[in-house]
Amino acid sequence: MANPVLADRSTATPDKPGRRPRPGFGRRDHVVGWLLLAPALVYFVAFLLYPAIAALYYSFTDWNLRSSPSWVGLANYTDLLFDDVKYPHFWKSVQVSLLYTLVAVPLTLVAALGQALLINAIRKGSNLFRLLLFLPVVTAEAAVGAIWRWLYDPQYGLINIILGWFGVPPQNWLNNPDLVIPALAFISAWQCGISMIIYLAGLKGIPDSLREAAVIDGAGPVQRFRKVVLPMLRPTTFYLLVTGVIAALQVFGLVYVIFSAANKSVTGGPEQAGLTYVLHLYLFAFRYDAMGAACAMSFILLVFIMIITALQFKFVKQEAA
Amino acid sequence: MKNIRLAPIYIALIVLAAISVVPFIWMLSTSFKHGHDVYTKVPSLLPLDRKTGEWAPTLENYEYVFDLRGLGTAFVNSVWVCLILIPAKLLIDALAAYSFARIPFPGRDKLFVLMLGGMMVPTITLLVPRVFVTQELGLFDSQWGLIVPNIASVLDIFLLRQFFMSLPGELEEAARIDGAGRMQIFWRIIVPLSKPVLSVVTITSFIFHWNDLVWPLVVLNDPEKYTLPLALQQLATAEAGRSYYIMAGAAVAVIPVIAVLLIFQRRILQGIAFSGLKS
Repeated sequence: MANPVLADRSTATPDKPGRRPRPGFGRRDHVVGWLLLAPALVYFVAFLLYPAIAALYYSFTDWNLRSSPSWVGLANYTDLLFDDVKYPHFWKSVQVSLLYTLVAVPLTLVAALGQALLINAIRKGSNLFRLLLFLPVVTAEAAVGAIWRWLYDPQYGLINIILGWFGVPPQNWLNNPDLVIPALAFISAWQCGISMIIYLAGLKGIPDSLREAAVIDGAGPVQRFRKVVLPMLRPTTFYLLVTGVIAALQVFGLVYVIFSAANKSVTGGPEQAGLTYVLHLYLFAFRYDAMGAACAMSFILLVFIMIITALQFKFVKQEAA
Repeated sequence: MKNIRLAPIYIALIVLAAISVVPFIWMLSTSFKHGHDVYTKVPSLLPLDRKTGEWAPTLENYEYVFDLRGLGTAFVNSVWVCLILIPAKLLIDALAAYSFARIPFPGRDKLFVLMLGGMMVPTITLLVPRVFVTQELGLFDSQWGLIVPNIASVLDIFLLRQFFMSLPGELEEAARIDGAGRMQIFWRIIVPLSKPVLSVVTITSFIFHWNDLVWPLVVLNDPEKYTLPLALQQLATAEAGRSYYIMAGAAVAVIPVIAVLLIFQRRILQGIAFSGLKS
């Protein structure tokens, strides 16, 4: 930003003899600005802008990495959506991802809010609990997948053993199509640490005066939670809901690890119950060598995410009005 | 009185913390058990002998995955990639952020908005063409293919720019009057003042790239070049059913990151609130 005061000052100060006058940074400053930006700009063009445009173009072509793409118009899109012989699992993968999102996101938010409320209620040890509850977040998905496959092991898995103490018969979590989504959603809730930290920040932002006023008005803890805390956390919840839905619709690495380990060849679990949309997309791109169709799938996802996000914004605006 | 009221809260937190931590303890204990001590009906959180119940830990699972399953090579690869990638990325992001924050040139703010817009596109949409670009650059199936396509981050540029803009301008003005150029100001004033945000970006970048599975998965074929997450995924496939090996591999991948979390916990937990660990 041009700073008139500073420019005045630097011209007003007499320069020492032998030194060039230096009004601001001079004309070359623009060049310096571009130079500093150049590496990031090259990256941006090569790995963001160009890929985004290229993905759109490829989605209208028949293409694998070995041949050059040939234009097929909207065929990838119409085939994916309507040709269940060519793409038998497209709608299944849509269903799996929607179901996963519907189960995992609310479960994760409830877990995060619960943890945040508990931590917010204590003083001593709050840092320790925050840290312990955050551990699962920094863990690599490959490790998370490996650890949970072992925990969910039907015979010797810790989960079945512990449930057995309460008389629950052992479940084949990752091989029973009905249990795959709940099992995956539980892992998602286990990793709710980021949302918990953000909820904690939201809770700290609620002014004490509001809570005190509610106490004076005779509100009990449940009422205070429903009438004061929840409404004050609404922007936080909304943010976490939008980002959570976007992330859940794209879940991939975890299911890839869990179901590739189970079957050697990736198929998306029992009866494709774990064939999430992005896992399906990955298989098209890198196993079946159908890059064009994969790009079309990625744009269908992009449009879907944009619609969902717009709807969420609209819904919240209506609520606020 | 107050302590009694808090008791249920502490009990709930202990249960939740146990759910959070027990999987890691289970991972560690399995990784130190002999194969024949793993499959028992009564779970043991300690590496005990199945028959005698005596303390019987072993390192043979670690030796096996390190030497015969490529985890040792993968560990070195992961360290190597992070050692090159993270400093390079930090420098590129910080320079760009400084330019965006402080150097007024025509079109700057439009460019910045365009970059932010690019951040909104889901990475999965970009995945296939990115692989294609990487291939065209001759970086496919090489470690540079892990580094170059990740060499900058719009999110980090954004975070750094916001921080740089919040720095008081007086110091820079004084340096400017003393004849310091842009680069001198950047290194002598901006960088020292920005240590908190630079360390947040460094740590979150490390965690993200150390853990990243998807990009190495699509770019690497040669097992000699695998990074830890990919080697672990392969191990979990090849040794399915031998959980003691898999848990040893998982521990190798997890422990460095947990160490970083423990050391830098304050920075990370503060940073997370606005950067969200790139997810």
